[in-house]
Amino acid sequence: MALLQISEPGQTTAPHQHKLAAGIDLGTTNSLVASLRSGMAETIADENGQHLLPSVVQFLGKQDEGFHSAYQTEVGYQAQQNASADPLNTIISVKRYMGRGLDDLKKHSIYNFVAEEDSVVPRIRTIAGDVSAVEVSAEILKTLKQRAVDALGDDLTGAVITVPAYFDDAQRQATKDAAKLAGLNVLRLINEPTAAAVAYGLDSGSEGTHVIYDLGGGTFDISILKLTKGVFEVLSTAGDSALGGDDLDHAIADWILTEAQINDPDAGLLRRILDAARQAKETLSEQQSTTLSIDLGNGEVWESQLSLQQLEKLIKPLIRKTLVPCRRALRDAKIEVEDIQDVVMVGGSTRVPLVRQMVGEFFNTEPLVDIDPDKVVAIGAARQADVLVGNKSEDDMLLLDVTPLSLGLETMGGLAEKVIHRNTTIPVARAQDFTTFKDGQTAMAIHVVQGERELISDCRSLARFELRGIPPMVAGAARIRVTFQIDADGLLSVSAREETSGVESSIQVKPSYGLSDGEIENMLKDSFSHAQDDIDARKLREEQVEADRVVEALLAALAEDGEALLSVEEQVVIQQAIDELAEIAKNSDQRAIKLKIEHVDKVTAEFAQRRMDASINKALSGQRVDDLNNK
Amino acid sequence: MTNSIKNNHTENFFSLLGLPVSFSVDKKSLTENYHDIQKSIHPDKFANASDLERRLSVQKAAQINDALETLKNPTQRSIYLLSLYGIELGENNNSVDPAFLMEQMELRENLSQVSDKADPLDALDTILEDVKSRINQTINSLETLFQQLLSDDEKNEDELLKKLTPQVLKMQFLNRLQEECMNKEEDLADQI
Repeated sequence: MALLQISEPGQTTAPHQHKLAAGIDLGTTNSLVASLRSGMAETIADENGQHLLPSVVQFLGKQDEGFHSAYQTEVGYQAQQNASADPLNTIISVKRYMGRGLDDLKKHSIYNFVAEEDSVVPRIRTIAGDVSAVEVSAEILKTLKQRAVDALGDDLTGAVITVPAYFDDAQRQATKDAAKLAGLNVLRLINEPTAAAVAYGLDSGSEGTHVIYDLGGGTFDISILKLTKGVFEVLSTAGDSALGGDDLDHAIADWILTEAQINDPDAGLLRRILDAARQAKETLSEQQSTTLSIDLGNGEVWESQLSLQQLEKLIKPLIRKTLVPCRRALRDAKIEVEDIQDVVMVGGSTRVPLVRQMVGEFFNTEPLVDIDPDKVVAIGAARQADVLVGNKSEDDMLLLDVTPLSLGLETMGGLAEKVIHRNTTIPVARAQDFTTFKDGQTAMAIHVVQGERELISDCRSLARFELRGIPPMVAGAARIRVTFQIDADGLLSVSAREETSGVESSIQVKPSYGLSDGEIENMLKDSFSHAQDDIDARKLREEQVEADRVVEALLAALAEDGEALLSVEEQVVIQQAIDELAEIAKNSDQRAIKLKIEHVDKVTAEFAQRRMDASINKALSGQRVDDLNNK
Repeated sequence: MTNSIKNNHTENFFSLLGLPVSFSVDKKSLTENYHDIQKSIHPDKFANASDLERRLSVQKAAQINDALETLKNPTQRSIYLLSLYGIELGENNNSVDPAFLMEQMELRENLSQVSDKADPLDALDTILEDVKSRINQTINSLETLFQQLLSDDEKNEDELLKKLTPQVLKMQFLNRLQEECMNKEEDLADQI
């Protein structure tokens, strides 16, 4: 039998070139950017040596023409300092508002939220105009991007952005939109606990089952992962996307309001009280007692002592609340506490001693805090970004993540029918068949929901769309197949098809509280100061980059598998298409490039399919050879 | 009807994951093959590829995940094996024997009364143990029957399939019951 030659996976004939990629932890309280420099993943500091960027954006006004932003803003420490003097224009903890509707936002917020006509996304009224949470987040991302570009000396090829594992589809989509607005090429959204696991797992190389307990500023995640030979497999994830260190601050602030007998604080005073609460929480991580001192704004100053004991009494119910998802994650992973090798602490809030104590007691092990809990997520994201961007990595690492929440459809009687269950490994595609309710029914409303509860009203509404043009039939005769697909970013797309007639309808799920494509386009335009030339130039550049990517990928593919998988004629056809695309990409006709890429896609579809199948066979035959060698 | 799949070379979840068609699955090979395949086709390996390749890799990775999910779980695996013989299990299948129906009702009733017991969690544990041992019994008989079905002798195929169907339905029921027990446990734990 002739032996087949198998080349190294991922090897290309293109000259090796180190591409720049960054990992970004877009946090509720602080954000960070990290990158791999001479083999080490490190967070990048600003010119003052600060690694953390407070996730605070102060809006100062509209930007003049000619700048690549629609707004004049202050981002980070300076904005944080200005917050109590300018509370309504300074947006803090914007992550809590991502992908959320007006009703969700009214709780615990000092900002003036307004509903806008022609948009389902609530805006915050500021001196610079009404801004959405996506735009505020984009300002933070722009600052981090600039910091990375300055430090690395060149533009980024791409970035990995982390999101809480428990973020739903709307929150993920909003994060991706913000990155797009900030001009980042998003290689992947990855879950924060998974990123932390990468940072830890590769350092210690420890095989086994690990728990990541991630209590951030505004979100709580728990993930249970199994690490085997470079594969990080998430077994289960659970959490609360509205519980974090902020809530500890609010508990302390509520206590201050009661003690100081303040009934109706204005926005500035409330900000000062929250700052004092956060300060006290941080101090009490090291000390037994602290003095609170608050300027009441009327010339008086309120002072009081807060002891560690009192603090722990205030925050204990909140920490206990995090143990409920811990139990659920264990159950979903089908493992017991005894199976857990260790617990990794992530997020600034895990510095609170009571958190470490209660989590340690629950999992019956001393929690790990080896890597700075503020930096660990960004470091893991940077490593994954480096792998994704195509820099050859020594470790053959793979992340297999899950979807945190069940996805389903509304059926008769307001009930949710689950199509994909929580903790299913992604990417995933599942189909479910439905039928018509009435004779002659020609349309069907599809309502996509996310959540675990049986009643639609208890789940989060993700999207609605209609399948029209069903041929009239008796009730129950039509066969409507609804297919859900979740990609590797955890984003959902849904399509519906009437099987007997072939009528089809599909949508990339635009969340109920998401920005429309048009709105994003407009925001992009605004950020380029309405200059049509700029927008065209940007579009052309994006298309050229895509063309280059296609050409490079195909040349590598041809060199690797061309002879094995294609006839000589097929090789000629593909080579010709590549040459044409490379030629056209040099010109500045964006439409022509786009059309040529589509043409190349068509010509190479069969080749791509064969390559995919061949690599599966290759993977399996490699396995069998290993087996034989072991025997 | 002869729906034998023995000589059928079309792709199925078993061949996709490089395993022989069988009810008993070697977990180690399943996991290793799955990891090896995902290492070669997962979308992360195509983050820089063309849109076309990225789309294909998402589809392929989803298919492999589906195959793993199906083969990992004995109930889903047995349903899938039956489907390879052209048998689709409907929601209302009447081929379950009356004795098992009685058993079902009894088990369900026990579960519904758990909350009234002095120690509900303890009572629930007893039921869970009982359900687990029934599941193991059923897995054993499924194993024997599928082995006979997939062995060389084809003449008893129809008869074996007739025996298998109620066993698979029984697995399905026991699985659901186990899930309900777990949910109950979750509710009880949250109340404490």
